[in-house]
Order: sequence, then structure tokens, then C-alpha cells
Amino acid sequence: MAAAESRTAGRSPALARALLIAVALSFLGLFLVLPLLTVFVQALAKGVGAYAAAILDPTAWASVKLTLLVAAIAVPFNLVFGVVAAWAIAKFEFRGKSTLITLIDLPFAVSPVIAGLIFILLFGSHGWFGGYLKVHHIRVVFAVPGIVLATIFVTFPFIARELIPVMQAQGKDDEETALSLGATGWQTFWRVTLPNIRWGLMYGVLLCNARAMGEFGAVSVVSGHIRGLTNTMPLHVEILYNEYNYAAAFAVASLLALLALLTLAGKSFLEWRQPELRHAARQGRDRTRREIT
Amino acid sequence: MSIALRGIGKQFGEFAAVQNIDLDVPTGALIALLGPSGCGKTTLLRIIAGLETPDEGHVLFDGRDATLWPIRDRKVGFVFQHYALFRHMSVFENVAFGLKVKPRRERPAPKEIRSKVQSLLELVQLGWAGDRYPAQLSGGQRQRVALARALAVDPDVLLLDEPFGALDSQVRHELRRWLRRLHDELHFTSIFVTHDQQEAIEVADTIVVLNRGRIEQCGVPSEVYDLPTSAFVHRFLGQVNELPVQSRGGRAYLGPIDISAASALGTGSEANIALIRPHEIEVGAAASGWPAVVVAVRVIGPIVRLELCAEGQPANEPLEAEISRERYEGERFVVGQKVGLRFRRWQLYPATGAAA
Repeated sequence: MAAAESRTAGRSPALARALLIAVALSFLGLFLVLPLLTVFVQALAKGVGAYAAAILDPTAWASVKLTLLVAAIAVPFNLVFGVVAAWAIAKFEFRGKSTLITLIDLPFAVSPVIAGLIFILLFGSHGWFGGYLKVHHIRVVFAVPGIVLATIFVTFPFIARELIPVMQAQGKDDEETALSLGATGWQTFWRVTLPNIRWGLMYGVLLCNARAMGEFGAVSVVSGHIRGLTNTMPLHVEILYNEYNYAAAFAVASLLALLALLTLAGKSFLEWRQPELRHAARQGRDRTRREIT
Repeated sequence: MSIALRGIGKQFGEFAAVQNIDLDVPTGALIALLGPSGCGKTTLLRIIAGLETPDEGHVLFDGRDATLWPIRDRKVGFVFQHYALFRHMSVFENVAFGLKVKPRRERPAPKEIRSKVQSLLELVQLGWAGDRYPAQLSGGQRQRVALARALAVDPDVLLLDEPFGALDSQVRHELRRWLRRLHDELHFTSIFVTHDQQEAIEVADTIVVLNRGRIEQCGVPSEVYDLPTSAFVHRFLGQVNELPVQSRGGRAYLGPIDISAASALGTGSEANIALIRPHEIEVGAAASGWPAVVVAVRVIGPIVRLELCAEGQPANEPLEAEISRERYEGERFVVGQKVGLRFRRWQLYPATGAAA
């Protein structure tokens, strides 16, 4: 009887494990894999020819280029800002630090539509700087600069948020050691700090990039929806959809999804290519584990 | 290189980490900054390293004012308690770091770097570990890598912040002896921070005891241990028994023992306290001295610790006495046995000061 008891006791964690995995997998399938599959199925519903035509359409192609351009400006900008802000917050004590942390989160708290409206109010023809910009023939709103600004605003927190805990956990010992060994501040940053934070940084860039390419609300407000000129991919998808051009809409959407998958693949590739990075990542985990226990 | 501190003070907000510190460290000395946590010892070490700037006072290196020198110009090796090894670099690259970041005209050729790093790794007995990563080493090995890395740039001063604090006691003991040997071979000036009085006594030439941001006492280990100038130092360096001094009829007593003749500190009305180390208590036959009962016996290798409840003392505060193993083998004290206590030595402090 004791044996039977111990067997049931042994079985229930296995059962629980199977149940948990099943629940997790079915959620993943229902909410992630299925929609993604739908996108590709719908995109190819009218055949490969229609798919190619939809993508090679000049306005679609323009939206792809615009999306890539915006991401190419917004991500490096937020990369620099994120590293600087995380460095300041994690390694120095100063007045107004908590205010800065709160401010960094502001774009998460504010609805993207409002973020877009802020730029209309600032740079629109009736906005604060509208007159000045008009006189100097600078177009911000309903043009590429406005889209870039809105995207930067919305994706502001991603990299900083990712780096702050990483840098705080690592402390200043490594940097101080490097300085005591005669390294300059610049050498210390490139050889010690950056390698220490690269995983957090890469993950932050990934999230930031995904959002920069996929942002809809804020960009929609400032873009003006000029076909072939100020439409990013998400906006273009919406226009095609509203025109009942489902196959084309899904074709562009599939391209957007592919870009996202590519970034993920890029990250995995980097991890796989450099065993030393993998090693560092493992060590990072060990260290965190040690700190927890 | 000799180091001198003159009137060093540092505040963190409202908290005065160190105040008015004067200290001379001669060239080639091995000095321990000893004190409880929060006493300012690490702050002082970081000020010497250039990792903190003092609010007042001066740091002199060989007589030159180095107070505002940036850390990289000071030629100090700094070793952290948690090693601070660069974990994305191999052991070899860690040790080579200080050589590789030198400006091009000072930087040794790659071949020289390799041979120097290798010889340093041999010195710390890790010649085989160059290709390993820090995560693959034990704590003691990591700390030796950190030492080799600090030594690679030929520092004039080696500063160690609780270098053995994170290691288990066996490894710690080994590394202490090794550090002492290394210091004697290489003749640099070393300052290390510790809260472990045993470590300070074992390794250092001079011990600086810090309390609440001030220097309590400074001297060679035996002097600080045997002739503490304050109750704080007396308590901090090793075990003590505390007994109130009672004055009756113009004479001073510890329990029934008259200490008037031998006590320097006042026999007057002010309350005094006597601090007695466990080995200064003599445990004898029941008929002589202060009657007491053995309440616990603990054999700790070469010594035997007895807990003794003396007559008239609270039962929950037994006195601790230490006798040699040889003596114990001869006399076999047992729990419940009645004995008589005498004090070979004691030191009196004003009770108010003793509370600090």
C-alpha cells in the first residue's frame, strides 16, 4: 500500500507537468502560430502570382523602404539614448533619478495616438513651431521626419528598460577594475561594459526594432497616409484592407511578419556563431542564479 | 611607494563615512584596515585608490599630493571581494588586459605580453588555466587570477578589499599565507581591508582598527591585541569576558576578588568595566579564588573552552575560559564541577566608553 501511495505521489507531478506544457503549447498555438499561419495562408490565397504582384506594387515597395528607413534611424537613436540613460541610472547617484526613470516609461503609459497628436500640436501648421517651419519650408508632420519622431517617441523605453536592471545587477566593480588597470573611459566602455551588457542590449534592440517597424497608432496620426510617400507597412496594410484588397493586405502583412522572424533568426544565428558569447550568456545566468540564492 | 593620509574626511549625505583620518604607510608595508561593517574601512581604501574623492584632507603618494589624481595614473592594483573578473574574457585575457590597454608606445609586444602573463599565472599557480573562463574556476582560483591581473601592470601599491571574504575558511587560510609570501617576495606596498581580526593578525605588519569613521588604534598585531587602548578595540580583537567592577569600602572588586592593588583605573565611584580574555582566566581548585561551576566543555582542537557560571553572576551570562588541551587531558573538567577562578590579567575601562 505504501508503494501504491508513493506511486501516485510520483505520478501527480508528472501529470501536472504534462498538463502545464499542454496548456502553454495550446495557448501558443492558438494565439501565436495560428494567426501567423493565417497571414501566410491568406496572402497566398490567390496564388503566388497575385502575391508577387502585391509586393512588387510600387506603393507597397515604397512602404517597405520607408519602414526600413524609419527603423534604421529610430533604433540607433534609441540605442545610444538607452545605453546612456541606463549607464547614468545604474552607475551614478543624482537628484531626480527616480523622475528620470518614470519619464523613460512615459511612452509606455501614453497611448500612441496621443503621442502622434503631440507632434501634430508641436509641428503641425497650427502648432507651436508650425509658423517657423512653414517659413523655412521644412515639413515635419505628414512627412518622413514626423514619422521618425513619432517612432522614436514610442520606442524610447525599450532599450533603456532592458539595460537598467542588467547594469544595476552588475554594479561598478568591473569598470573600476578596468580603470585601475590603466584603461581609459572609452576602452573601459568598449572592452568591459559593452560585452557585459550585450545580451540585454541585443534583446532591447530586437524589441525596439520590432516595435519601430510595427508601430501603427502614433505613425498613423502624423503620416497623413500619402500613398507611396508617407505610408509605412502597417499603414499600407490597413489601406489595402479597407479597400477590400485582402490578398494584397495579407501579402504586405506577411512581409512584415517575415522581417520580424528575420530579426529573431539573426539573434539566434549570432548566438550560435560565437560559442564564446554563448559561454558569456551562461556565465551571466550563473551569476544571476548565485545572486538569487 | 609610501602613502600618507592627512585629515581625510568623506560624507555620504548625512553619514560621515570617515572623519579626520591621519595615517602613514611606509614603502613595502603590509597594512590591514580592520573594523566592523560601516566603519569606513572600504571608503578609506577607495579614497587611496582614487575610486572616491575625499571631501577634505590629502592623499600623498611618496610625498606628492595625489588627492585628485585619476585612478589610472596612480599605479595601484585593486582587488575586489567578488573578484570582478571580466567574465567574457579568458583567464589569459583577463591578466593581459592591463597590458593591452596601454598606449601604443608603452604597450609591450604581443610576445612579451604572452610571456609576462604566463609567468604571472605560474606565480599564482594557475599556469594551466590560461584558456579557461572565470566561470570554470573555483572562488580561490578566481581571486588568484584577480591578483595576477592586478600585478600585471607592476603596481606600486596593492589594495585589497576584503579579498578573502567570499571564500571558505580552508582556502582563505591558504591564500592568506600565500599573499604574505608574495608580499615578502615582491616588496610592494599593500593595504587590505578586512572585518576578520584573525586575518588581520595573521597577515599584516600593522593593524589599523577603525570605528565609526575614525582610527581607534594603530600598531603591530601583538600590541593591538595585548594592549588595546579602548574597550572597542579590546572587544573587536578576539573574545572577551566583561565584568562590572564593584567598589566596596574604598576598594575595587571583581566578584570577591580584590583588585585595588593592581588596578590603574580609578577605584572611585565611577562605574568601571573589566575586560578579560578567555585565556587570562585561571581555572583552579574549588577552594581558591572565585567559586564557579562548569556549565559547558568544548574541545576545539588544541584548546578547550570552558563555560563557567561564577557565583553571584547571572546564569545566562557565563564566563568563557580557555585552557590548553594538555592541561585538559590531565584534569578532565566535567559539567557541574565546582572550580575556583583567578584572573591573570584584566583591563579596566570606564563603563560609558565601554558602551560605545
